[in-house]
Amino acid sequence: MMAPLREHGYGLPRDVSYDGFRIDELIHFTLAAIVVIFVVVAATLIWSFIRYRRDRPALYTHGTRGSISVVLGAVALVLFAIDGNLFVHTLHDMHEYFWNFARAEAAPGAVRIEVTAHQWSWEARYAGPDGKFGTPDDVVTTDDIRVPVGVPVVVQLASTDVIHSMNLPNFRVKQDAVPGTITWLTFRPKVPGEYEIACAQHCGANHYKMRGILAVLPQDQFREWYAAAGADARRAYDPDDSEAHWGWEWRTQP
Amino acid sequence: MEDAAVSTTARALIEAAQPIHAPPTSFWRRYVFSIDHKVIAKQFLWAGLLFLLVGGTLAMLIRWQWAFPYRPVPLLGRIFFAKSGGVIGPATYQQIFTTHGLIMIFFAVTPVLIGCFGNFLIPLMIGARDMAFPKLNMYSFWTFLLSQLLVLASFLTDLGSGGAGWTTYPPLSTNVGMPGLGQTLIVSAIFVTGISSTMGAINYVTTVIRMRAPGMTYMRLPLSIWGLWLTAILNALFVPVLGMAALLLLLDRNFGTQFFVAGASAVRGGGDPILWQHLFWIFGHPEVYILILPAWGILGDVLPFFARKPHHWYKGTVWAMVIVTVLSAMVYGHHMFMTGMTPLLGEGFMLFTLLISAPSMVVVLNWVLTLWRGSVRWDTPMLFALATMFVFGVGGLTGLFLADISMDLYLHDTMFVVGHFHFTMAAASFIAAMTGIYFWFPKIFGKKLDERLGKAHFWFTFLGITLVFAGQLLAGYAGQQRRLFDPFQYTFIQGLRGLNRWTSFFAFALFAGQFIFVWNFFKTLFGKANPAGENPWGVTTLEWTETVSPPPFHNFEHIPEVVRGPHEFANPEVLRRTGRDYIGQAEQLPDLAGAELAAAKG
Repeated sequence: MMAPLREHGYGLPRDVSYDGFRIDELIHFTLAAIVVIFVVVAATLIWSFIRYRRDRPALYTHGTRGSISVVLGAVALVLFAIDGNLFVHTLHDMHEYFWNFARAEAAPGAVRIEVTAHQWSWEARYAGPDGKFGTPDDVVTTDDIRVPVGVPVVVQLASTDVIHSMNLPNFRVKQDAVPGTITWLTFRPKVPGEYEIACAQHCGANHYKMRGILAVLPQDQFREWYAAAGADARRAYDPDDSEAHWGWEWRTQP
Repeated sequence: MEDAAVSTTARALIEAAQPIHAPPTSFWRRYVFSIDHKVIAKQFLWAGLLFLLVGGTLAMLIRWQWAFPYRPVPLLGRIFFAKSGGVIGPATYQQIFTTHGLIMIFFAVTPVLIGCFGNFLIPLMIGARDMAFPKLNMYSFWTFLLSQLLVLASFLTDLGSGGAGWTTYPPLSTNVGMPGLGQTLIVSAIFVTGISSTMGAINYVTTVIRMRAPGMTYMRLPLSIWGLWLTAILNALFVPVLGMAALLLLLDRNFGTQFFVAGASAVRGGGDPILWQHLFWIFGHPEVYILILPAWGILGDVLPFFARKPHHWYKGTVWAMVIVTVLSAMVYGHHMFMTGMTPLLGEGFMLFTLLISAPSMVVVLNWVLTLWRGSVRWDTPMLFALATMFVFGVGGLTGLFLADISMDLYLHDTMFVVGHFHFTMAAASFIAAMTGIYFWFPKIFGKKLDERLGKAHFWFTFLGITLVFAGQLLAGYAGQQRRLFDPFQYTFIQGLRGLNRWTSFFAFALFAGQFIFVWNFFKTLFGKANPAGENPWGVTTLEWTETVSPPPFHNFEHIPEVVRGPHEFANPEVLRRTGRDYIGQAEQLPDLAGAELAAAKG
């Protein structure tokens, strides 16, 4: 398995998810739109500065019906063509993909993971062969989350101390982990490899070190690892180690 | 355009309502515990500029850390980080970015933009002899100074200053994350500065409502006053929310309550960390407009002044600013898109956030059309005003990405956000403050700042700020997260070393360039040159046309009678009768000379 790769440096990092392109497309659309707006306004001003120098008196006007219509027309155009477009697309993407946890979970083979964030690492818990969280066959890992390629992954997030935020830049998703509540995150990996889990919310002096690895494995490799890890977990289970029993009953989407 | 003159009886009543008092003679009453709004304005200016230097130095330390992590800081390292051999450690680093944000927002930009210009301009521009509550004004400044001292004191505690970020999110900001006295002092400073801002705000709101000179209707107010007034309304409404939230946090820290503590750290139930975020951001988002509305106002006056052209669609700008003020409290949830809020609530906040772009666009397009076919004078204040327009434009446009929940899934908490809000609320408000300082310096101190030094300062500031914050936008676009002690721990950020280093070099140049301003400031203040005269820019508002520079203790010999709007430029009739391209707000248009009148009649 390869270690996380360096990115080009400039531009968006590689997108290795099935749905990340929805965000990238919106970002590119917005970028194009603001460049157009910027160029039009800047060109207007520069042209005015060159054409109308200080040696001639300024035009005496407080605004005419025509010029006010230009303002209102431009605002309406931007509002409908850009803001409206962004609003509709975002609504659709959030409802259908990024915040539709029920649909992600219903997909065949979907992987469910409970993650507890604390200063300064990520603990992950899989239900194990029995499909239930908080049982002796739960697979528990630290800063090392493994998922199969091609199926949706649904994460339920909690925090024991301060607020953290689970950020997966290569999958274009993030979600805060808030003490006292459980939050949700879903993504669908497309390309096998190792990627970084970053903490996006300042969580204390060592915030910068709260780095984990998310490994996307081919389906058969994941099954193999999961079975072996489940067997190990059963053997290592200690009923008296209450610290290790932090799992919760899987929640359904509210 | 012209009003019937106010009757003699009315005049006497107006003068009697604000009688002229003799100026205080003792040193303490005159310069220290003064109730003169102009002296208090200067006090805020000094306090603000001093802390601007502190906040700027902290920014340089952050930039040093991102350019050369783990290397000793030159010059300052040996003084401040002697124990670690001049190197910034992770615990120190979090205090640096926390106090940088807090100081710049509450203790540098706020006192300059609102404390100084609010105090100086409101009475002078509306034609009043002082604030409605001069003593409250004095208390506001001294309370503010106390809060600044609390911030400085926090650096001297054992564990150092606060380190939970300027947003002070609990539980990190409670004893769970920041057990030191420094954090307590920082939260106390927020509470105390909140009291100061509230006192100032009540004063400003009352003064503008009650003390406008006769004829100064709302639709004749200079836009600077509109900006400062709307800001004061927002301050009066929302700063108390922040103050109370800070008080609850202090109770959590020192008296064992659990308003904001939850999870494993909570005993028996606990509270809700997200509650803090609601309380903080319902203040925090209006705060963005609290800082930008005075900037918009200053631009709304300076652009027409130097384009020698009336402001385009003045009423449109006024209503747009009012709508922004109303909407500003209804968009705050976009800071919390990632906290797991109910989707419907998030979508509502997204809708309002996108909608607030409409009035903002009206304001900007009105500036553009004000400049269109103007007769532009390229004096230093105008250069700074145009730069404000530029950085605010870039900041506003990049805000389109962040208004959307789906793009926020990627961009939230990255340097893109940092670049965006630095362009809007930091760069725009800072450069607008500079616009104001260069423009009103002759009125405040009676002398004009040096133009050549001013232009040199301008280029350093404009290019520096643009390059630094563009660098931040680029880094964030590539995924670099904010507040990282060593961003290059992450493999996906390692390709950005060069970008971070270049951005730091630009930042150092920007910082160095500010000393041109410091030199210009003191050279002009203590030098002999450049007596300004009454109205050096040839503009229209009352502070320039109705009194001398600097104005006397009682501001105006006679309360002016306002007869027209604030930007009467290039009026052919005025040009014909006075030979000038402008006419003051309280100036009667002279009658045509008899001969000319006869010629006109034919």
